[in-house]
This record gives sequence, structure tokens and C-alpha cells, in this order.
Amino acid sequence: MTRASASTKAAKSTSGKNDVQLLCLAVVPQAGFSTKTGSVSFPLYWVQQAGSDRGAESDPKLIEALEQILVDPLQERLLQATPEGRQAWTDDWSKQSFRWWCERQFQPGVTDNLAHTVKEALSLKGVQGDYQIASGTGFLLSGKGANPLDTLKSVEQFSRYRYFHPLTDCFKVHDLASKKTVSDQFLSFPAVHLPTPKPAQTVALNLDDKKLEALSRQRLLALSLSEMQAIRKYFEQAKVKKARKAKKLPEWPTDVELEIIAQTWSEHCKHKIFNATITHTDLAAPGAPQTEQIKSLYKSYIQAATRKLAPERPDLLSVFEDNSGVVSWDDDWAVCFKVETHNSPSALEPYGGALTGILGVNRDILGTGLGAKPIFNTDVFCFAYPSEDLPDRPKLLPAETILNGVRKGVEDGGNKSGIPTVNGAIYFHPGYRAKPLVFCGTGGILPRSINGVSAIQKHTSVKDIIVMAGGRVGKDGVHGATFSSESLHEGSPVSAVQIGDPFTQKRLLDFTIEARDAGLITGITDNGAGGLSSSVGEMARITNGATIELNCVPLKYPGLSDWEIVISESQERMTISTNNFEELQKLASKHNVEVSAIGTFDDSGSFAVTRDGAPVALLDLQFLHDGLPDLELESHWQPIEIVPEVGPPPRELSPILISLLSHQNVCSRESVIRQYDHEVQGMSVIKPLMGPFQQAPCDAAVQKPRFDQDAGLVISNGLCPQLSRFDTHLMAVCAVDEAVRNAICVGADPATIAILDNFCWPDPVASARNPDGKYKLGQLVRACKGLFEAAVTYKAPLISGKDSMKNDFDDGVLRLSIPPTLLVSLIARLPNIGNAVSMEFKGSGDLIYLLAAGKLGLAGSQYEELQGWRSDWLPSLDLAKADALYRRVFHAIRSGWVRSCHDLSEGGLGVALAECVIGSKLGARIDADRVLAAAGIPAGTDANAVALNKRIDLALFAEGPGRLVVSVDPAHQRSWETLFEGYDCYKLGVVEQMGRLRVLSAVGKPVLDMTADGLAFAWKPALPFDRERQE
Amino acid sequence: MVRPRALVVCGDGINCDAETASALELAGFDSVRSHVTDLLESPAELAEAKLLVIPGGFSFGDEIASCKVLALKIKEKVSDLLHQFVDNGNLVIGICNGFQMLVQMGLLPSSERGAPPVVSLTKNSGGKFMNRWVELVVDHNAPCRFFDLFDTIQLPVRHGEGRLALGAAESEQTIEAVKRNAALRYKEDVNGSFDRIAALSNATGNVLGLMPHPEAFVRWTQHPNWYRERQNNKGEKPEKQDKTAKNSPPPPDIPHGLAILQNAAKMLTVD
Repeated sequence: MTRASASTKAAKSTSGKNDVQLLCLAVVPQAGFSTKTGSVSFPLYWVQQAGSDRGAESDPKLIEALEQILVDPLQERLLQATPEGRQAWTDDWSKQSFRWWCERQFQPGVTDNLAHTVKEALSLKGVQGDYQIASGTGFLLSGKGANPLDTLKSVEQFSRYRYFHPLTDCFKVHDLASKKTVSDQFLSFPAVHLPTPKPAQTVALNLDDKKLEALSRQRLLALSLSEMQAIRKYFEQAKVKKARKAKKLPEWPTDVELEIIAQTWSEHCKHKIFNATITHTDLAAPGAPQTEQIKSLYKSYIQAATRKLAPERPDLLSVFEDNSGVVSWDDDWAVCFKVETHNSPSALEPYGGALTGILGVNRDILGTGLGAKPIFNTDVFCFAYPSEDLPDRPKLLPAETILNGVRKGVEDGGNKSGIPTVNGAIYFHPGYRAKPLVFCGTGGILPRSINGVSAIQKHTSVKDIIVMAGGRVGKDGVHGATFSSESLHEGSPVSAVQIGDPFTQKRLLDFTIEARDAGLITGITDNGAGGLSSSVGEMARITNGATIELNCVPLKYPGLSDWEIVISESQERMTISTNNFEELQKLASKHNVEVSAIGTFDDSGSFAVTRDGAPVALLDLQFLHDGLPDLELESHWQPIEIVPEVGPPPRELSPILISLLSHQNVCSRESVIRQYDHEVQGMSVIKPLMGPFQQAPCDAAVQKPRFDQDAGLVISNGLCPQLSRFDTHLMAVCAVDEAVRNAICVGADPATIAILDNFCWPDPVASARNPDGKYKLGQLVRACKGLFEAAVTYKAPLISGKDSMKNDFDDGVLRLSIPPTLLVSLIARLPNIGNAVSMEFKGSGDLIYLLAAGKLGLAGSQYEELQGWRSDWLPSLDLAKADALYRRVFHAIRSGWVRSCHDLSEGGLGVALAECVIGSKLGARIDADRVLAAAGIPAGTDANAVALNKRIDLALFAEGPGRLVVSVDPAHQRSWETLFEGYDCYKLGVVEQMGRLRVLSAVGKPVLDMTADGLAFAWKPALPFDRERQE
Repeated sequence: MVRPRALVVCGDGINCDAETASALELAGFDSVRSHVTDLLESPAELAEAKLLVIPGGFSFGDEIASCKVLALKIKEKVSDLLHQFVDNGNLVIGICNGFQMLVQMGLLPSSERGAPPVVSLTKNSGGKFMNRWVELVVDHNAPCRFFDLFDTIQLPVRHGEGRLALGAAESEQTIEAVKRNAALRYKEDVNGSFDRIAALSNATGNVLGLMPHPEAFVRWTQHPNWYRERQNNKGEKPEKQDKTAKNSPPPPDIPHGLAILQNAAKMLTVD
């Protein structure tokens, strides 16, 4: 089906001399295929030798080596055949009750890690010759079952996204029952065939506005009219013309130059919306609407918060400057942290999207200062419920395909790189049908100085060599940021989607750290969005100039245009500046890492690209980085109107608690957590799941970054998109609070908190297809204000951030948008890991307290959703009070009074208590009256005239920020209660040996009574990952 | 006292080298990390060492099969030297990916030259990678001394391919030999391993391969229940100790992984 005709031709040509030879291999079990499940899968390989008149199949040394490499001699055997000879395989399989034979292989040019490994293994075995390898998978299906597969089409449909992804894979189904399966229908070698590229072209810009806009669209530049005009103006300047003439460059830009500008000016690189001048109108302001002008949200709220806090935070070493934010750890070491998003790639090809997301943010850390070592990953996913699938919109992948692919991508990205995935979140909301959000975060550690030179800064100097290290350049990721889904489906397959190569990157990582310590690196950055144009263009600012020569850039395969080489986003590459290329190269060869000297840094004031020494691009650095015209936007805000509809209290509370515990936003994440290595590097102190049964879901991670010190590094996240539809200001405040509160729970020192912001928004620029753009921008303004207030009050400086502003789906008919989402990620210090606290109850007799610094709400709660109610009763937070409260909790934890501490989030107090019981299998006796008193529900009545503040269901399940449930050693009751005098601190009950959660009325009547096992049973099994699949 | 030298292999996708080297230092070794390339180019480094450790990780991305290509790379170049190292009575420990390598290299379950392969470490029966702490039962009749002092130990497993499988045609005698060399068994079945085997040694007990990670439990705060385990071992809550107090003395107050590595150091210094 999705095959290019070229490879069929290759298969047919095997009989000819001096032509490509193809050998086909399958690795099958010695014991034969199991027919138990109706489907089996096994590895396939295609091996091709170029330029030989001998068939690859006739080289005994090759066959012997392949057999040793590919086969487990105890369990497997190798089938080998010529392309035609595979007929014998299918003849055999057709006799084994299989109906369908399917082959999967990668599309030409897609990263094939397995094949690379086989190739390296062949060279280790001393096999000579120019062998090309492709790997794939074979599937045999019986076609029987509840939904029988009886046509080619039904098999293809069944297999799509299950066995193959059309963007990265070729897949072919053969009917074993048909006599017509002939060998030339089998898959052949997926060779890349590209025409010889044209040399750099001149793109004239003396066009009218309409044509300028059309040019931007056709070339996928994603530049606006005013930006195109600014570029035209630059090239019209007399001094530019003169300089170009001197270098024999055309008057108008080359395609290389235009692409460099477009990448540098992309929303992704320049954050145009966050830097825009916004006229914001608050339509809900008391009295009359109020209008204000905001010059750059970024400067006014994000940078401003940090600037305000900086005088008291000498530990902030590098903020908003480098690839990640850097804070001091001690006199010798610093830690850094960055969170990125990879939403669009994950929407199209979830596995590759998430994998390259992780590897990309790892490189941000590696590219910080002179190179930091990644020490943890933290990942947050926002998905639609699988029940929200829209089968009539084929361009939207099924939710289950997305979440399984993303999960697997993060597993491979973290585990294979040896970086523990220590913390994260999975959040479901129907709005993420438009696009899944995949936040990939990484923290690192780096020495503060190397050989007396600061390792926090880059020291690139004039005459330093520009080195590209790691992978090679291919068509993958050309226009990564601007690719529309249309062109992804119909464009050239080799440039479609990227799959990362964690092994190559792990080698690159080991190499970089050793080179850094040897003093061989003067500056380093990663090749992410915009490729070389961005990495070299950025580093060139340090010396004020750089030149690269395209002949020196190693390519994966021939056929790339100059502009493609410059902007390709091929993975696993770092750009390094060095003053000792020779030594760097020696070290690289030890690590099997490819390094290439591709140019020199200078102080010419421009970024130049040459081909064979002749310039193909020459751009003034100041224009390139500062020539972008300002964006002006308008926004407004007004709250939505809600007609409340809250039903009566339920007769029984236990079914409610069971439903909440088994809800996909609450239930155990164990099935996902277990598949991530969260302990590699040996730093773990508080893991995702703790306690005697490894079932206690911890609020934050604690790592011990230095083996020789007792201080811990706390990592947490906060995310509250369920509140966005009511008020993004509240949403942002709650996101900061959640991140901070999670960290406080494990014992973090509030004075050491540093946070990252990560905005994922629906397009906030109004247009015909986006009529409510001004409102979405108004929501962004309010969120920034909330973020600023919370950060400043909590004295939590922002050290780095990211925004992704186009999270919409639009196929021309249907437009969907995500809920405005702000992820706040946090690092903090814990003075002594021996004081770290996990969330499960520890021992009977411990006293259970609720601490609160805000008001509960029903609107946006899991309980509201479960009951199908509509409430306008919103939660709120007293930021200053919460700040003071958390500092006291830190004191109590450090003093050793606290035995467990857990934050209240989805499902409120009821779920939080249940989790403390599940994690320990101890019990709790809770006083219902105290719960009601602690809830502080405002006066008012429901539809049945029942006073809201008498409803225990609301007190148990409503949600609000600023709340913690803490168990305290009774020996320290007095100190604890004294510490919290004047605060909302309620003694709710006591931990019991008997594994039951009991909420009792004043007369001892159970309002709720469930066993720990019953709670655990409800909480455990509900995530829709890796469901058993039946044909 | 001279600390015995431990050589920890790194590079090519090995992940656990840093913490393994650090754990060995804690256990009394003088540990050095050596990149695979350096080891192959100047194998004399090995002669200085008394213990060779192949740590866990994803060598070559674990493509084809776990540790297949790294084993092949080392086997092609220094197979003889390794056998000599073992024959001289030095210690070799392969952890997780390293265990897979020792099996692929033909050093386990028998380290005799030319011994045919009899076991594989293959995909977990659950089909998934798994990171969790497990309870392991020590077989004191097995030939190795790494687990002395304990009847049961707790360590994390972190693997996708840790199921020990025998070839279909193995003789009763071979099967018995494998069982005899099984130093650790999972208390409960976690990955479908034959006979629940988690660790194998050779007949002389100086080559050990184990799927669980000893280097991941060298301080109490690495245990998922450290808050209480540490108290238990300090004797603050004696009721827990009843279980282990039947025949043997209570386990020492020391993280189990560290104890294993210290035993290794003891084996070398006593000899």
C-alpha cells in the first residue's frame, strides 16, 4: 500500500549483474510459532550489498556473522531467502493455520536504530563490504476471533497504529489463503532515492503584499506580512546591497538565507506572542471596563517576578539566558532544569514525538554552560479520554494510540539514556482531543568551574572551531515547527517524522561530559528547532560572527539542498566550540562519536554559510536576532456565566469514593511508573511509589545528586487546567501552589524553590478561523498575572520556561482547541535526606491534621464532573497565608514531628485520606464534625434547601488549593499545635492499626467505612494503557 | 590495608557505571571506571584489578537482544584474557545488562572455555520493562559467597529481559547444574524466570551474574520503605525481626547491596 515503486524495482533487479543484491531474513522461534493467541510477530531484516556481482546470500562469512548476531541459538533460528525465495516461507506458514502474513519496515530515511546496531556488529565481526541493513517485523495472523479479519482491508485497518504507523512505516498484507501471493509483492529494501538537489536559489522579494504572503505560505516559512516586509526592507538597504555584491551574492536573498531568517524568527524561537505589545481590556472590572497596555508578557510578568526576587536569591546563577535555568547547589556544583513540550510531533507520531521530546530536553541540559549531566527526567502528559475519539476525523489519532505511543517513547528515551524518570503526571481532559500535551523535563548537574574557568558561562572566542557532534544531517525534521498535517500526509516520506536514537545520544552524552572535564569545550548548545541555523546563529552572538562550510557537514544520504542542511532538525547533534579540535576528535573516536569541524567563529558581525568556499548566505547578526518587527495584539476578558445546578447529597459515600478513586485522573499510575527506570544513577530517596507495599503515590521526588552529601533535590509539578474555563488567573495560582505544596509535602526548604513555567495555549491570535482569539489572549494575560503574583508571594523565582501557542486542531471543517494549560515545574533543596517524608501513614496512634490556607470549591472538581453538576462555587487561595503555612510545615518536618504529609488534589480530602491508607494498609478514624468544620463551606443551600455547609459529601470531595493532610507523632502534639496557632489547623482523627478508613459522626455512627484493601482495589486498575488486545 | 582494585566497565550505552563505582568505593574497593574502547585497546588495565564489574544499562540500545552486541565486541577482542582473569581466581560481577553479557560471552553458568551456551536471558513473561523492589531468597548451597550473612535480601530489579530460559533440548544433568549454581531466587515469580532464578554463579563461585541491582541499595534511604526498614534494623521495632530469627542470626544493620559488595571485598582480602 504505502510503498514507493522504487523498491519493487530493486527486488526485481536482483538477477542482474553489477546490481543491488538483496538478502531477506526472518528470526523465528525454534519451537515453532505458538498458535495460542492467533497472532505472532518476529524480526525481519533486509540486507543489501551494493556494487557486487555476487549475491549477498552467497557470501558464507556474512551469513555466518548474521546468524551469530541476530539469533539466540537456544531459542531461535534464522530463515534466509532471496526476495523470490520468500515464497517458500509463505507456503510453509499457510499450512500453520495462519491466514494473513504482514510485513512492516521503516519508510525510506526513517531512523532505524536496530539496523544501525546490526551494521556496527557486522563490522565488529570483521565482515567487509558495503552492506545496507533495514529492520522490520513480520506478523502472522489467524484472522479468527470475535471480529474476524477476512479481507486485506480489515487486516490493514486492524493493524494501523497497532502494528504500524503510516507516517514512519511501510506495511504490506498478504493473503496466505490466496494462491496469488507472489514474491514481487513482498517488501523490498527501503532505499532513499532523492534527485540531485539544486544549488542555492535566489528568491526575489520585489513582490506585492499578496504575493509576499503567498511566498511565506508556499515555502512553509510561517512569517507574517509585516515580517516579510521587514526582510524585504533589509535587502533593499544600500549597505547590505554593497556587502552582498562584494561577496558575489545576489541582491535578493538566497533560499538558504530566507530559511535561516524564518527559523530564527519563528514563534518557537522568538516567542513573538509573549513579547507582543498587548492592549488588554478587562470587561469585568468593577464599574466600567478597564484597558491597559502590556509591553511583553514575558518581561512584565515572568522576568519581572525573578528580577524582583533576585536580590534575595544569590543562588540564581543563570536564568533565562542559557538552554536551561541554573541555580547553585554548593560551592562546587550547580543544578539546572528545563521543561520542553513536544505536542505537535506527538499528535502525529506519538512514539517518535515523545522520544525526540525527551532526547531534545536532555540535550538542552547537555548544552547548558559548558555541558551539564542529566540526572533526572520528569514528564507530564495531558490526554483526551479514549472515549472522546472522533473516528470521522481520520487525522486525529485515536487517544489510546497517542497515550501508548507517548508512554513507550518516554520509556525508551529515559531508560536507554540512563536517566531516571522520577516524577510526572498524567491528566485526562476532553479538550486534549485537539492536541495531546507532552511535557518533557530534565534536570542536570554541572561543576561551577573547570580549570578555573566558570562552567556556567560559555567562553567561545574568535577563531574557535565550530564542531558538529553526534548524528548526521538528513531530511528529517526539515520545517519541524511549521509542518502542517496536510504536508505530513502527502509530502516526501523521508522528511516526515523523526524517531530518536537514544543510544547514539548516550554516547554523545558520555563524550561531551568527558570533553568538558578535559577542558576541550569552550561553548556548547544543542541542535533542536532550526538546526544549525539556530545553534550556530545563537552561538555566533558570543563572538559576533560565524562562518560554516556546507561541504564539511556530514549527511545521512546525498540529495539535500543547502537550505535543508542548514535548518534540518535531525536529532542527536550538539554544536560545540573548541580551540583544540584535534584532541576533541581523539576523544570522540574513543566514544564512537562522529565530530566534524564545520566552520569558525569570528567577529565579522554576520552569520555566513559557504558551499565550496563560495557564500550562499550572509546575514547581519543584529538584523537576524533583533530585526523582527514587534507584534501588536488585543485581548479582553470576562468570566463565563454559570447557572448552578447541584443535586442533593448521595445516600452512600462509599460508592462515590470508589468512583473517584477509579477515575482516570485519580487512579494508580503504577502500570506506567513501573516501566520507567526511576532509580538508575543511584540517587533516589523519595520514589514515585513508596511504603511497605510500594503503593504509596508520592507528591514529589527527592534525589541525592551528590554521593558525598546528604542534601536532597526535590522535583515536583503543578497543573490545574480544569479551572481554566472559569478563570486562568486562579488556574495559574493553583498550578504554582500545587507544585510548591507537592514539594513541601516531602520536606523541601521553601526558601530554595525555583520554578519553570510552561504555557500551552490555544492560538491566542484572532483570525477568521479563530474568532475568539482575543478572549484566549485575555486568558493568557490573566494567567501571567496569576503566575507573577504566586511566584512573588511564594518567593519562588522563575528560572526558565517555554511556551507553545498553537495547540489547535483544524482540518478546515472542525476546529478544536485545548484548554489553556500552564505547567509549573519546581526544584528545591532538602537540607538532609534523612528528613524526607513520604505520604503514607506510618504508625497507629499518629494524629491526623488538616492544614488549609484557602477555600474549597466545587466548580472544576472531579466530584462535580462525576455527579454531572454545574457549580459556580470556585475555590480560592490566600497566597500570603499559604506561604507562611508552608514555611511552618518545613520547620515541623525538619524537626522530625511529621510522619506523613500529602497534598489534597483531585477528589479532595476523601481521596487524599484513602491514598494515605492504601499506601500503608493502616487505617484512619476521622471525626466527621471536624471534617465539616475544616471544610469552611460558605453558607447557602442546594436545590433541596439543604445547607451546603452541613454536607459531608462536599466537605470530603470538594477541592481547593493550599490544603495538606499530615500525620504527626503524638509525642510532638503540643509543639505542632503551638506552631500552627492562628492558622487553619484541624485535628481530624488518628491513624489506626486496623486497615480501614472510617469517618464517624459525633455519636460514633459511620458516615464512611471502607477497608484498605477495598480502597486499593478501586484505585489500582483503571488506566487505559497497554490494554490486552484481542483480535 | 590495601584496597583491592575494581574495574568498572563504562561506555557504549552502559548506564549504571557511576553509582556502581561509587558503591564499590563504599564497600572497600579502589574502583576505576574504564571505557570499553580503552579496555579493548589496553587490556593490561585488567591485570591490575581483582574484580571486574559489568554494570547495568542498555548497551547498544539493547537492540537485537540485551547486551548481545557488547558481548560480541568484547568476545571478539579479549575473550582469552577474560577467561584467564577468571581462571586466576579473580572476581567478575555482571549486573542486569552485565549478567546478560556474561551469559552471552559464555562465562555463565560455566566459565570453562568452549562451554556451550545453555541459558538465555530473554523477554520478561509480562512482556514489559519493570522497575520494582523484590524479595530474594539466598541459596547457601550455591557455590558463591557473595550473599553470606543473609537468608533473604531486598533489591530492585529494573529490566525488560531478565527471564532466565533454558534451551529446549537441555539434559537433566545440565538443568541440575544450572539449578545448583543459582545463588538467588525471586521469592515470588516476577518475570517468568526458570526456577525463579535471579542470580547465577559459575561452579567455582568467582563469576556472578544477577538481575537485581546491588549498587542501588548501598544506603538505607534508597529502600522504598526506608523510613521503617531503618528503624526495624536498628531494633526499634523488634516484632519484625521474628520472621528471620528462626535459624540464623538477625541480618546485619547494613543495606543489602552494600553487604554483597563488601562480601566481594572480603573474599579477595581473605584469600
